[in-house]
Amino acid sequence: MFRLVEETGFTKVRSAVVPRFRFRKAATQASAEAFGVKAVVMTALKPAGA
Amino acid sequence: MTEPAEIPASLEGVLKDEILRMYQEVADNPDSEFHFYHGREAAELFEYDAEWLARAPGGAVDSFAGVGNPHLRSRLQPGETVLDLGSGAGLDSIIASWQVGPAGNVIGLDLNPSMCLKAQAHAASTGARLDCRTGSMENIPLPDASVDVVLSNGVINLSFRKRRVLEELYRVLKPGGRMSIADIVSAKQLSQSIVNDPKLWAS
Repeated sequence: MFRLVEETGFTKVRSAVVPRFRFRKAATQASAEAFGVKAVVMTALKPAGA
Repeated sequence: MTEPAEIPASLEGVLKDEILRMYQEVADNPDSEFHFYHGREAAELFEYDAEWLARAPGGAVDSFAGVGNPHLRSRLQPGETVLDLGSGAGLDSIIASWQVGPAGNVIGLDLNPSMCLKAQAHAASTGARLDCRTGSMENIPLPDASVDVVLSNGVINLSFRKRRVLEELYRVLKPGGRMSIADIVSAKQLSQSIVNDPKLWAS
């Protein structure tokens, strides 16, 4: 996602993990962890000259 | 979060139907239990301002299905035009409307026309202004360079064509515009069994 945002032309791409995100069901959460699934908040700018 | 190499059109159609069904279910039956936290419980988990949640209509709060809090870094200013991509029952749009004030504009976009109607009704009940459009995030029905800020919460991960979605966001943003999006990402390539299962993808 981060790479896709940069490749699209956005600059100043920043992301931070949402620390308290988790799935409600334990089995879903375990599967998510196995795949490295997490929630992030991402910010980015469209350059002023674009 | 990667792009599947080939996307069967039939699978994408099935996926969109499942997304519509899933989030309609959250809106219609917010007391049900889903794979994800939703409603007030989720909003509090993601540190939505207690004052916002007290002021927002109960229906918008109860049907909230975000994965984080894009407002923490959005820095919305009075007078700005905001696009809420995947506006759902309208909680994020309503909060944005309060921040941009009467000189600003909030445009919601949702795949589901009934969700747009619901979001607009929720906004109107608080005096917030929301112009909700029905459409897809891969073909945003807005002109080039027409918004200052894009907000989104748990939506882009639902698309098979994330690159296309990001290109659309870039197109509709004004030069110097910005986005603040909360979303789900995966460090590993999802297995084909997950990619091909609309219920898993939609949740």
